[in-house]
Amino acid sequence: MHRDRFYTKPGLWLATAFSMLSLGLAAPASAADPVKIGCALPLSGGSATVGNQTRVGAQIAVNQVNANGGIKALGGAPLEIVFADTQSKADVGVTETERLITRENVAVICGSFNSAVTFPATEVAERYKTPWIVVGAVKDEITERNFKYIFRINNKATFDAREQIDAMDLLGQESGKKPKTIAMLYEGSDWGRSHAGNVKKIAAERGYDIVVDEAAPPNQVDFSNQLLKIRAAAPDAIIVALYTPDHLLFTRQMMEQRLDAPFGIHSVGGGMEDPAFYKALPQAAVDYAFVQEDWQIDKIKTTQDPLMLDANKKMEEELGYGLSAYGAQGYSSVYVIADALERAGSADREKLRDAIAQTDIKDGPALITGYLGIKFDEQGQNTFANGVISQNLGGERRTIWPAQSRSADVKPVWPVPGWSER
Amino acid sequence: MDFFILSFAVTNGLLLGGIYGGVALGLSLIFGVLRVVNFAHGSFLMLSLYISFWLWSIFGLDPYLSALINIPAMFMLGFAVQALIISPLIKRESALVVEPLSALLLTAGIFLVLDNAALMAFGPDVRAVQTSYYMPSLMLGGIPVNSQRLIGAVAAVIVAAALSWWLRTSHLGRSIRATAQNRDAAAMSGINVPFVYAVTFGIGCGILGLFGALMSTFIPISPSIGLSFGIKSFIVVVLGGLGSIPGCIIGGIVIGVFEAVASQFVTATSAAIGSLALFVLILIFRPAGIMGRA
Repeated sequence: MHRDRFYTKPGLWLATAFSMLSLGLAAPASAADPVKIGCALPLSGGSATVGNQTRVGAQIAVNQVNANGGIKALGGAPLEIVFADTQSKADVGVTETERLITRENVAVICGSFNSAVTFPATEVAERYKTPWIVVGAVKDEITERNFKYIFRINNKATFDAREQIDAMDLLGQESGKKPKTIAMLYEGSDWGRSHAGNVKKIAAERGYDIVVDEAAPPNQVDFSNQLLKIRAAAPDAIIVALYTPDHLLFTRQMMEQRLDAPFGIHSVGGGMEDPAFYKALPQAAVDYAFVQEDWQIDKIKTTQDPLMLDANKKMEEELGYGLSAYGAQGYSSVYVIADALERAGSADREKLRDAIAQTDIKDGPALITGYLGIKFDEQGQNTFANGVISQNLGGERRTIWPAQSRSADVKPVWPVPGWSER
Repeated sequence: MDFFILSFAVTNGLLLGGIYGGVALGLSLIFGVLRVVNFAHGSFLMLSLYISFWLWSIFGLDPYLSALINIPAMFMLGFAVQALIISPLIKRESALVVEPLSALLLTAGIFLVLDNAALMAFGPDVRAVQTSYYMPSLMLGGIPVNSQRLIGAVAAVIVAAALSWWLRTSHLGRSIRATAQNRDAAAMSGINVPFVYAVTFGIGCGILGLFGALMSTFIPISPSIGLSFGIKSFIVVVLGGLGSIPGCIIGGIVIGVFEAVASQFVTATSAAIGSLALFVLILIFRPAGIMGRA
């Protein structure tokens, strides 16, 4: 018994001291409590490359906000971001979302790139009445479910598809030459399939023929069969929606097989907006390819905003390359949240939700992605979202669409030269 | 479909099928001798791809030359994995057990450790070797044949032939075959069974070392690349006949050509499903695989 008492006493003391300490902390300092943001991203699995870029982008934005005095409406409360790994899998994404909400008790969530993960995970957030800023996922239905807590700053898949065809139309008008037939190769999960569906619909409206329509499950080891099929159909242009590893393999084999498409490859991002993609290929393999992405690739060259320039530098220090579409989207989402927190003056989920719904951003770091603005419709979709289409010209991606973002020294190459003429 | 496209498809199928077969050789050998289904086979391939990549990226070593380092390194790794990790398990299982099932679980564990260790060490980025010289595609009557893939497919056939010959004629080869037939009888005839097991596992991985070097020239490398090849290898090995060396190459080519030709008629995804249907069909009529002895 003696031993027991000996141990109990200091334990009691400690407990008392601790409760006094927490009481003391709670009362006066509550205003500057950090605001917890959850961010569910694919940090491992097939989309790990892009998930990590988004993570770094979001972290940079959090650091910038904190360095500039935190959330002023909350007495300078710093932001604290909690990352969760969805492993690019829907079931993991759902449980991680639940954990962020119930265990980590975050005020708001951003994420999670893969449409197949975001779609069910946002449903969980809606049920828990926790606002969610969708980053990267483009599946249309994510903002077509009459949900109250889900907001998307980037394009819907429909916008992506429309922009790709818009660019073909624009280049067609400028040069008088236009493709007639299109081949489609896309990854076989949510994102690729919904994109292909949209392309089909819009292409039919504008008078293009889809001659190859081929889905491929992720992580292929060979594309010879699909390439041969495309060769047999001899399309004028090829629309591609593949994630990085598959996009790399496809592009490489296309060069090896010297397969020509007179009006080029039109990638809807995925692999072709990933900087790791360009590191792993000779330049000849990507020359003249068109890339649609949620990010104005030459933005850093044209902007004067010190925050954006700083973000680009930090990204380069961390990953070895500057801002990408993914890094920019992560960065932008944190600034959208910070803006809403300032207006809500509270980290309460309900008030924050209302503030996000009232968002009307016309400039500043949140628009680093090249959007014209951020304002949500009643479904939570940013109606000012737009992507940018660039062409690989002389080792650089230069904006060619929308026409007003094209700089004066950029001359699109259209139609693109065949392999034998390069 | 015209004849040109058909012959193009067959060519593609032969090239890819040969490579499938070459990658599966080690898996088949290890199963034939140890009766261990090596679930980590794809992960070993992933490691050897990374060995060649890093040798090229850090030291500028040509991927083909890197085979000289890759093969011994993978051999030693395989030898060590068998001697240190799997062997105690085989010893513990009673001599009556011919196919150590728990070894499957153990190798599945090795697969998880290797893939995640690679993700941690190398990061998720997809990488690719870019040789300074350009290897033009050979033109075979209008069909471009990728040289790197051709080298891989031809190497598969050569390695398979050399391996069969070596197993038949050399002393160690005969010990391996004896152990495969009956390990107790082999042990009683003075064969050091644990050593033979370790050497066999080493050879299985050493072959992957070669293919890692050859394939690094045309396959983008990521920590999860092993799984895609691992699964294909299982199908190829079972189709060709478990433990049969020539069966491996034939199994690979059957799958490769079937998928290439079928995907000209239906989507490539359906063709892959079709190849599994073909797999089931062949096994109904030849349960031991194309070249297997029932």
